[in-house]
Amino acid sequence: MEKHQIPMEYLSVGFIGAGKMAESIARGIVASGLLPPHHMSTAVHSNLDRHDVFQSFGVNVFSSNEEVVEESDVVIFSVKPQVVKKAITELRSKLTKDKLIVSVAAGIKLKDLQEWAGHDRVIRVMPNTPAAVGEGASVMSLGTAATEEDGALVAKLFGSVGKMFKADEKMFDAVTGLSGSGPAYIFLAIEALADGGVAAGLPRELALGLASQTVLGAAAMVSKTGKHPGVLKDDVTSPGGTTIAGVHELEKGSFRATLMNAVVAAANRSRQLSQT
Amino acid sequence: METLPISAESFKVGFIGAGKMAESIARGVVASGMLPPNRISTAVHSNLNRRQVFESFGVNVFSSSEEVVKESDVVIFSVKPQVVKKAITEVRSTLTKDKVLVSVAAGIKLKDLQEWSGQDRFIRVMPNTPAAVGEAASVMSLGTAATEEDGALVAKLFGSVGKILRADEKMFDAVTGLSGSGPAYIFLAIEALADGGVAAGLPRELALGLASQTVLGAATMVSKTGKHPGVLKDDVTSPGGTTIAGVHELEKGSFRATLMNAVVAAANRSRELSQS
Repeated sequence: MEKHQIPMEYLSVGFIGAGKMAESIARGIVASGLLPPHHMSTAVHSNLDRHDVFQSFGVNVFSSNEEVVEESDVVIFSVKPQVVKKAITELRSKLTKDKLIVSVAAGIKLKDLQEWAGHDRVIRVMPNTPAAVGEGASVMSLGTAATEEDGALVAKLFGSVGKMFKADEKMFDAVTGLSGSGPAYIFLAIEALADGGVAAGLPRELALGLASQTVLGAAAMVSKTGKHPGVLKDDVTSPGGTTIAGVHELEKGSFRATLMNAVVAAANRSRQLSQT
Repeated sequence: METLPISAESFKVGFIGAGKMAESIARGVVASGMLPPNRISTAVHSNLNRRQVFESFGVNVFSSSEEVVKESDVVIFSVKPQVVKKAITEVRSTLTKDKVLVSVAAGIKLKDLQEWSGQDRFIRVMPNTPAAVGEAASVMSLGTAATEEDGALVAKLFGSVGKILRADEKMFDAVTGLSGSGPAYIFLAIEALADGGVAAGLPRELALGLASQTVLGAATMVSKTGKHPGVLKDDVTSPGGTTIAGVHELEKGSFRATLMNAVVAAANRSRELSQS
């Protein structure tokens, strides 16, 4: 069986499910210059709002999913997990082997996706909420007949809304506990830092602005310098200074253990849910 | 005597102290297109490395601080706090009213800066470490004779390495506790999230990559959406899901209280240090 490798210039991407995730990815692809908007399509049945949103930046909007699949080389299933099976099986006859299937549905396994689609050229991606602002942390796992080139292509598409990593599907519950649920832990952290600033005398607006930018900057440092976070912490804790006093409070409060607990609990919950 | 505004088209910036902070700001200013490097200068007495670093991106390097001051309309004191007094008094005679003076020295008050320099047109800025990767959270306070235009100019300069906010000088200890020391708290958080990921079964490299990108993405969401962190948390905690399970662990572990404690302790330590 020959591989159908489509050069980027001719590639068409279609979204089954015209929700927020599809919109984020489509916008990211356009903004990064990877594909022009008219190389992308989605279907909207009756929701005029969603229709207008996609049209407003040049994406083709059809009225049926069948048309989207016919038009597309890469078909991204971006419907909610509860309706993925129905969405795929309804399109099964049109999902030929020359089309690469991608699913972003949380908790839906490759085994099932491949069964419902009737072929194995599937890639499962676990993105996260910040894809909406172009800073997603996504993880992908390749199905049996998805090639390395298919993987590279999907990495490029999702790279336009953040960072993409690769992992074995068996790690996806742990991924959920960390990058899937992680943003919420950081929303709490930012609120708490702002509250601490207010307790120390800052007005709320200033405290919140500093809190979010401080968190952003620190993460950017880990990301861009490639240094171990422990080394970065050493670099900024001067003897008897303010920073080590703050760090001491975190250690007293088992700050790190609590974050580990959160990741583990969420990963365990993900495992439970996937068994129901 | 009226204060002469600095010409936006032709002004020159000079750094007294050719260290990391000066380098970060100089690079940021050049990268943003705000100033060509030949309108930036610094002085290096004997350290060939630092000379080469600045020259490598086109900044003028003199051998004396006096030359830098004479060349510059905006003079930024970026030496360590322990040597700021000496650095200012040594060039006192060259510091004239037509120059805007800036200090980034932690813990050094406007009252003292103005006394040592004999000039009131001073602006004090508290940047933070992520200026090195262009994502600083900086706060500034205007001295007695610094104008609004001076403030806007300095805001542009520091805006090229991140965000800059304004506050009354009396808030600077609290600012130190939050944005000054805050990056270290987040380095700990990123390490802990990665450890949690590893505990849940992820390989270290993947766990760390996901941890830092998740934190970056979450902070970007707070920043870009302008939504309250509590609302963002509500948006992502689906009923009985993985995220609320993780959040529950954070609440059990007094996660938020611990972060507040860190900010308050660091702010208190800053106050203590400024009184010694």
